[in-house]
Amino acid sequence: MEILRNLAHNYYYLVAVILFVIGMHTMLTNSNMIKKVIAMNIMDTSVFLLFVAAGYVAGGQAPIIREGLEISYINPLPGAMMLTGIVVGVSVTAYALSLIVKIYQYYGTVDTDEIAVIRGSEQ
Amino acid sequence: MTWTMHLPVLIIVVLLCSAFISPLLFRWCRKASAPALLAALLGALAAAVALLVRLYRSGSFSYYLGGWAPPFGIELRADFLRVYMLLVLLGTGLWIFLFALRNLKYELKKEVLGWYYALYALLMASMAGMALTGDLFNLFVFMEICAIASCALISIKETRDCLEASFKYLILSAMGTGCYLLAVALIYMVTGHLNFAMVQQALPEAVALYPNNVLVAMALMVVAFGTKAALFPLHVWLPDAHASAPSPSSAILSGLVIKIYAFAMLLLFYTVIPASLLESIPVTEIVLWLATVGIILASIFAMVQEDVKKMLAYSSIAQIGYIFLGIGLSNRTALVGALYHLLNHSIMKAMLFMAAGVIIHAAGVRSLKKFHGLGRHLPLTLIAFTVGGASMIGLPGTGGLIGKWLLALGALETGRPFFVLVILASSLLNAFYYLPISVNAFVHPLQDGQQAFKPVPRLMLFSLAVGIAAVIFFGIASRPVVEFLEQAVQFLGP
Repeated sequence: MEILRNLAHNYYYLVAVILFVIGMHTMLTNSNMIKKVIAMNIMDTSVFLLFVAAGYVAGGQAPIIREGLEISYINPLPGAMMLTGIVVGVSVTAYALSLIVKIYQYYGTVDTDEIAVIRGSEQ
Repeated sequence: MTWTMHLPVLIIVVLLCSAFISPLLFRWCRKASAPALLAALLGALAAAVALLVRLYRSGSFSYYLGGWAPPFGIELRADFLRVYMLLVLLGTGLWIFLFALRNLKYELKKEVLGWYYALYALLMASMAGMALTGDLFNLFVFMEICAIASCALISIKETRDCLEASFKYLILSAMGTGCYLLAVALIYMVTGHLNFAMVQQALPEAVALYPNNVLVAMALMVVAFGTKAALFPLHVWLPDAHASAPSPSSAILSGLVIKIYAFAMLLLFYTVIPASLLESIPVTEIVLWLATVGIILASIFAMVQEDVKKMLAYSSIAQIGYIFLGIGLSNRTALVGALYHLLNHSIMKAMLFMAAGVIIHAAGVRSLKKFHGLGRHLPLTLIAFTVGGASMIGLPGTGGLIGKWLLALGALETGRPFFVLVILASSLLNAFYYLPISVNAFVHPLQDGQQAFKPVPRLMLFSLAVGIAAVIFFGIASRPVVEFLEQAVQFLGP
């Protein structure tokens, strides 16, 4: 029971991990390349969510320091890091999509199974 | 000598800047673009040597980027181990680039050469960053730069095989970095730090409070670095990627890129994870057995390959297994052996891929069955291939022997003679697939239907000669390097 209560209390971690698993599974098993790239983004985003959730402080304010005011702030570091992570994710996505465009020009399909069939019939 | 403290960041910045400058130079002043990158690589190598001199004078030190000390800032560490890796990276990188200067003209379209130089510099910068960084998140950023740059070095050849291989590589390496980032998130949640030293201090307490977080993070790290460095069951992307790439790319990908991930894993295991935690869970044991299976199975796969570059790629999976074997044995001698093998393998595998590149260019053959009689027409190339093969097997007088010898000694010291048998068996398997190639090439006459040989540029032959000399040098004069490495792993746990 305790583990369930902990899960219910920290449900945002659970959601992030479920998203991660969905992303990873789709990325590795789906044969459509575009869906692979989408899944890659889902996976990345789940980790971003986990990071940002870990940096949240209940009742905290945005981390802008005002003189003479003693309040708690949320942790700004995960947010800053995840901005970097998002940029990295965007560039990987752009590169992956450009590869898919090139592969589509060669095969006329974005499905890895169909590409395998085409290659098999050539040999 | 205060300026030398800026050297760690200068190495990365010089290479990063030259990545941006080389395409511009290529457009405006085409002749200057390759020498400019050559100068940048030479400068970085000189800086690494200066860093080594500083280490001998005043010991290891930390550099805080922008003057911000941890926990807020990013730390670059310079110690013997990291500088060793840096010297291997930059030395081999410079040497491969010399070969690439001539070879790329035959492999790529002229217009993309500038972009190739940019990617090359970017790859070197990211690898230097991974070797030097002391921050978990910074390591992630460098890993992603490295992943994109190495995929692009494959797909720049724009043939169908290259595009498919690099897409596969990109997806699997995105999985690897995703796992690594999740591991970093889990560690950050329980320790509140990203700096290596601070995480190490905070982890024992965190493990007591949240054991599951740290265990999951460790598992994710093994998957992440296993995928990136092609540890056995996660190696599926490597053969296609390394075989289809242009030869200089294959040389740098097989020679350096997979090594730097193994090195990063070594750093994380021995300078971030506390030794008590590493002993309490069987993670090194898992790495050890995966490496063992990988060494044997990949050697068997390599035997049945017909394509020379595919064969070399499978051989890389077997050889990276040795480095993981050293990490898994967690014994100081074995670790020295693994690090020495890292140097040797980066030289010999790069040389073998270069030799394959020369053969593909000059004779126009890729299939190992057509190698008969090539030795008389391309003597230096096939001698390089033979020396590389001999070093893979571990014949005396080559660098390969010393690494394997130290690994075997380490296995005996930990009381596990079984792994000596593994090393012996794999050397035998290596002999089965490397020796026949050389014998066929030198003994048999040329096959019918062999086209006329194209001339080989002198610079390509020169780089092969440098490789032969280096393999034999590190096989004979191993003493100073091994002593240096023993000093470098002093601070590590075991």
